[in-house]
Amino acid sequence: MDRVRSYRLPPQVGQPSTTVSMMREVIISLIPTLGMAVFFFGLRVLVLTALSVGACVLFEYGYRRFMHLDNTVRDLSACVTGLLLALSLPPSAPYWVPVLGAAFSILLVKQFYGGLGKNFMNPALGGRMLLATFPLLMTTWPQPLQHLSLWKADAVSAATPMSYLHDGVLPPQTLGQLLLGQQGGCIGEVSSIMLLLGGCYLVLRRIISPRIPLAYLGTMAVLALLFPGGDQGRLVWMCAQLLSGGVLLGAIFMATDPTTSPVTPRGQILFGIGCGLLTALLRSCSSYPEGVGWAILSMNCCVWLLDRAGMPRRFGVTPFTAFKEHLKHLRSSAAEIKFVKPQFQFRLHEAGKAPGEGHLDQIRTHAKSWGCLAAVVLVTALVISGVHRFTDLDTVRAENTRQQELLAQVMPLAASSSETPYRANGALSITAGYSSSNELLGYCVEVQAQGFSGVITMQVGVDLNGQVTGVAITDHKETQSVGTKAMTPEALSRYIGKSGTIRTSGSNSVDAVSGATATSKAITDGVNRALAIVANLDTEGVVEYVDGDV
Amino acid sequence: MKHSFFGGVHPAGHKESTRRKPIARLDQQPEQVVLPVLMSSQGRAEPLVRPGDRVQVGQPLTRGIDGGVCVHASVSGRVIAVEERPHPWGDTAPAIVVENDGEDTPFEDRPQPLAAENIKLSQLLERTHWAGIAGMGGGAYPTDRKLAQAAGKIDTLIVNAAECEPYITADHRLLLERSDHILQGAQVLARCLGAKRTVVVTEGDKLNAVEAVERRLRKRGAKAELCTVGTRYPLGAEKQIVQTVTGRETPAGSTALDVGCLVLNVATVFAIQDALFKGKPLTHRAVTVTGGAVARPRNLWVPIGTPLRCLLESSGGLREVPELILTGGPMMGTPQKSLEAPVIKDTNGLVCLAQWERRAQTPETICIRCGKCVASCPMHLAPVFIGRALREKQTHKLPALHPQDCIQCGCCSYICPAGIPLIELVRQAGELLEKGGEE
Repeated sequence: MDRVRSYRLPPQVGQPSTTVSMMREVIISLIPTLGMAVFFFGLRVLVLTALSVGACVLFEYGYRRFMHLDNTVRDLSACVTGLLLALSLPPSAPYWVPVLGAAFSILLVKQFYGGLGKNFMNPALGGRMLLATFPLLMTTWPQPLQHLSLWKADAVSAATPMSYLHDGVLPPQTLGQLLLGQQGGCIGEVSSIMLLLGGCYLVLRRIISPRIPLAYLGTMAVLALLFPGGDQGRLVWMCAQLLSGGVLLGAIFMATDPTTSPVTPRGQILFGIGCGLLTALLRSCSSYPEGVGWAILSMNCCVWLLDRAGMPRRFGVTPFTAFKEHLKHLRSSAAEIKFVKPQFQFRLHEAGKAPGEGHLDQIRTHAKSWGCLAAVVLVTALVISGVHRFTDLDTVRAENTRQQELLAQVMPLAASSSETPYRANGALSITAGYSSSNELLGYCVEVQAQGFSGVITMQVGVDLNGQVTGVAITDHKETQSVGTKAMTPEALSRYIGKSGTIRTSGSNSVDAVSGATATSKAITDGVNRALAIVANLDTEGVVEYVDGDV
Repeated sequence: MKHSFFGGVHPAGHKESTRRKPIARLDQQPEQVVLPVLMSSQGRAEPLVRPGDRVQVGQPLTRGIDGGVCVHASVSGRVIAVEERPHPWGDTAPAIVVENDGEDTPFEDRPQPLAAENIKLSQLLERTHWAGIAGMGGGAYPTDRKLAQAAGKIDTLIVNAAECEPYITADHRLLLERSDHILQGAQVLARCLGAKRTVVVTEGDKLNAVEAVERRLRKRGAKAELCTVGTRYPLGAEKQIVQTVTGRETPAGSTALDVGCLVLNVATVFAIQDALFKGKPLTHRAVTVTGGAVARPRNLWVPIGTPLRCLLESSGGLREVPELILTGGPMMGTPQKSLEAPVIKDTNGLVCLAQWERRAQTPETICIRCGKCVASCPMHLAPVFIGRALREKQTHKLPALHPQDCIQCGCCSYICPAGIPLIELVRQAGELLEKGGEE
């Protein structure tokens, strides 16, 4: 029987899929998503994708060639990385962005750790998150169906559903629009239905197991149901959370990357739950509206732990026994931790080559190490003192107290004040005063007026009815005990309750203090200016002060 | 409550070509049969005959020592040699070569058939030993020893007709065509051994056999249960079938008997039944001859000792050059170097794989940590970690990974997309641990 050719170890048959075919299936499953993105954003998407894939393949080839390693371009993993990287970019990204991302993904995240199967972080996500350090580039989202030109991406920035969800309200899109992908966002994350299709394909072809996506999305769904937002009920909120942003792309394609997810089934479920928890936490609590990328990268770093935690129970051992064994193992590990007494003695009397030489060497070595320590301590002290100088806490506290006193003088009812975005001609600053129950009471306007011998700076509090609540002079150059007569608390308190345009005589007037007529007039002038600014605040951003007859 | 085992794989069944073909006799009786002296995994045997002796069908040719099983002549004729011949388990082994005279004269000194109602345990054991029955599903463990150990200790008798190996349909056909005999045999076994439950386990791809058994169960009002499970490899493995039927997990280092179950292959039950009620020793068995390279795949009823070549001749010969010839299924079967090797008591199939049926032999690529081996291991092992620890020579990690629990089912190697020979690595790790854990 010499015709029987090969002997191989059992089993003699194998399932047909290989690493390459798995990668090919992932690429196939991403084609619908890419097609939908082309439909929404135009051909620019294709160019970005081609650039990203091309750059990834090129970097992979170049690095392996440069390091004299075998060529791994044919395993298609670089293509998958490039595709996923492109899908997580905004469609309006400039063309250098995918190239930079690809360099980081392939070189730093993947190849420096040994290439496919060795990296601990998802390469595509690593590259994407490096690019997130260019916030302006990476948060300009064009409207869907607004086709971008190939050469100039002058997208009209649109708010993504994520920014609405971040603020706790439902996005303006209907759930159907979110499902189809009529939302602003990254190339690959807009079309939820295509992502779901791709995910179903991968699960049915047994490329990925559904454990991670289901655990991830399930955790997100449960958290959204427990902590609802919006005004249309928990279910709508949950669907909006799941359909918007990158959670589907992340859960189906990023988190299931075999290399950077746990191998044990229980570990995979824990991984998915962890991703879901972190995503929900980051979405609601961080300043950045989306948290999928950070969540998955953080969980990537915990994979070794999850693999240990998810180790299957030994066959034929009851769960209780397994738990007891685990505890025993933990205890023995803990027992191995020993406290090693640090050695502080200086062995000065060590034999050297010549009498005294060893001694000298000792001193030199010690001096060197102590010198290093001293240098480190010095640098640290300098840095700390520098930081302290620039952020001098005492100064900040004094400033705060001064502000509080001023507020009490100008608007006695207010408990706190905050800056406002209003700007007006003639006003140095406009702050809003709030009561202790956070109700808006009025505005404090800092104005200037020409006094007898220089500029008088003052703060005028005006409540919402347009009535003055208080006036405080913060800076002046008036003559002591002449001009300052008009600045006594009694003199200033006469303005309280006045509104409209205040005159110096007649009706609605505050009489000038005798001997300080010019100063009085200047203060009245300033108060009038402030009243006018506040009266015009809500109508327009720009307030024109009309110099009334005083 | 329905139980199931963890993991497993779904290899392509390839049973279509033989599942509808009744078990047939050989077209042409073999000119000579080769009966290896050793046919069981335990014990030894020594020949009782010498070259030149005339033998008849059913005549004992060897005597079991240390619990080994004896071998009976499967054809009548003349012993022409006792010499080294190829053994299907590999290499060569002493075998008794009998030249067939084609008359099939039965052996006169046969024991009397017994009546089902009053068979005692001692009779059962004695008759099983006499008939030389060894596990016919692939284990080849002497059945009389197994029964003696099981007596009074078990509460469940499991008749294993799962046949989870791809290609093989011999057990399927036997269960379909001889369900009456098998049920009768199971009933007697359960009564003698004191089992409260009798369960016949089949997979969902044998629905005609399921139907046949169900109908007979209704008719006879027998106490046996029929358990049909979704097709998944390796359901037929002892520990997995026990877990599927009773939910009990067999701890490492013990057998199904320790958790109160006795698992017998359906062909073994049939052979026991034959010995009890007809006084016939084990001389014939059902073998599936199949595979893409076989011209006319079929199920055959062959005398034990028939060379594999005769089986192929009765199946129309080879259609193309086979890539590999196996006895047993492709998952756990043994590759055969020579077609002169005979059918023995645990040979349930002869599979000639054509090249297109095997996975293209690609070089082993790097592990991408997909975790499929962990998810498919029915013994809750993590082959990826065992393989890595072994290759990186971190043998101190091995004891916690329990490689010695492996049942060699091959799911991990089957599923691995990188083509890593995980089953071999796990086996090596297990051997290393047995030797003391150090290299």
